[in-house]
Amino acid sequence: MGRLRMLIDSLSHPRVTEKYPYEPIPIPEDFRGKPEIDPEKCIGCAACARVCPPNAITFRDDHEQGYRVLQVFLGRCIFCGRCQDSCPVGAIKLTKEFELVSLSKDDLYQVVKLELAKCVRCGKYTVPYRYIKYLMEKGPKILKYELLLCPECKSEVTTLIKYHYAQEVHE
Amino acid sequence: MVSSLKAYGSKRGHKLKSVRVFHVNSGACNGCDIELLDILTPFYDIERLGVKLVSTPRHAHALLVTGPLTRKTASAVVRAYEAMPPEPRIVIAVGTCACSGGIFYDSYALYRRIGGSMFDVPRRGGISELIPVHIYIPGCPPRPEEIIYGISLLLELVNERVSKQHYKEESLEDYKLTRRKSPISERLRYSLREKTRHIVGYFDRDRVLEKFLEIVQIAEKSENPRKRLSELIDEYCAKEGDSRVRECLKILERDYWRLKNALLSREEVIYWI
Repeated sequence: MGRLRMLIDSLSHPRVTEKYPYEPIPIPEDFRGKPEIDPEKCIGCAACARVCPPNAITFRDDHEQGYRVLQVFLGRCIFCGRCQDSCPVGAIKLTKEFELVSLSKDDLYQVVKLELAKCVRCGKYTVPYRYIKYLMEKGPKILKYELLLCPECKSEVTTLIKYHYAQEVHE
Repeated sequence: MVSSLKAYGSKRGHKLKSVRVFHVNSGACNGCDIELLDILTPFYDIERLGVKLVSTPRHAHALLVTGPLTRKTASAVVRAYEAMPPEPRIVIAVGTCACSGGIFYDSYALYRRIGGSMFDVPRRGGISELIPVHIYIPGCPPRPEEIIYGISLLLELVNERVSKQHYKEESLEDYKLTRRKSPISERLRYSLREKTRHIVGYFDRDRVLEKFLEIVQIAEKSENPRKRLSELIDEYCAKEGDSRVRECLKILERDYWRLKNALLSREEVIYWI
């Protein structure tokens, strides 16, 4: 009779196994999946690259072509979500996508190329246009003229101003 | 990967339907290993897809490798890889560490090939440094579903979903960021305002500057503005009791002409705003 009871028990329970690859599964509300940059929103400030613990997001400035290249390498991402936390414009977000299986490493890259602005005084490439545009809208107003300069020119101009005033006061 | 499996299947005359896998831990934190254990439970039940975990690499078609490949485990991974039958010899990297080194990518304890350029270094790491990898399953740790998805990809049940995304900013039409060229009167006003701050301070400067600019407007209408301005300022100073303002107006008068000449001849003025 013990065997019969076992049979009845097992038949009365529903099936627990998921039919996963054939049917989709529900994903929790706060699931942290694949990080994705919205390239239209991104301003290229590289705050995400700065906070990323495993350096899954990196950036490189190409000073000859005038580009900033941001790379997201999913093969190294640990899905901590600090990039989403640090992004000032909300361009990078963790989606609910988790099927990141790929046959080659190249498929795991997301590359965003943004154009760099030129310094108005010496003509060197500095930071992306969108970054300057963002700062002009949101940044402190007194800094506006400094935004269009490269760091060297900025320090030079500041020194000149101070030197000039010091001379005037001395007179 | 799929090609090697297809070649193996065609040699035998039929498609390979079941895969025997062997699990190697190359220094993982055990997170991925527990997820691998999960897919054997009745809830996920990987064996319904014909996948079976075997206890020796000699029986295995595929190697499931977890961990960032430490120096100590590198020899064991190579031995396991070489003990596998020569075909199809599939390697599956499970977890972010196995894919690229993960959070440990720059550790001294990891196995690493020598050479390559400086720009490659942040991109390298993982078990592909030592053995060729056919399937990458990133995740820290990957969900059991994701591992099942990876193995289903091997069995050609599903298709790859991720692909390389490349975005390039297209045109610069929208951006016209040049140095702001405001009218000369405004540039003069801002420069003089900065100057006045150094003489009378930020609190009184607007009052003094407004008076000065009023006088300038009257003077500019006459035939000889330079002479007229000095006359008007002398008149005003005779009435003014504050010595600070008297001195300030004289300095402003001198600076006004200096700046105006420089701006009109397009020289670089030192304090431009």
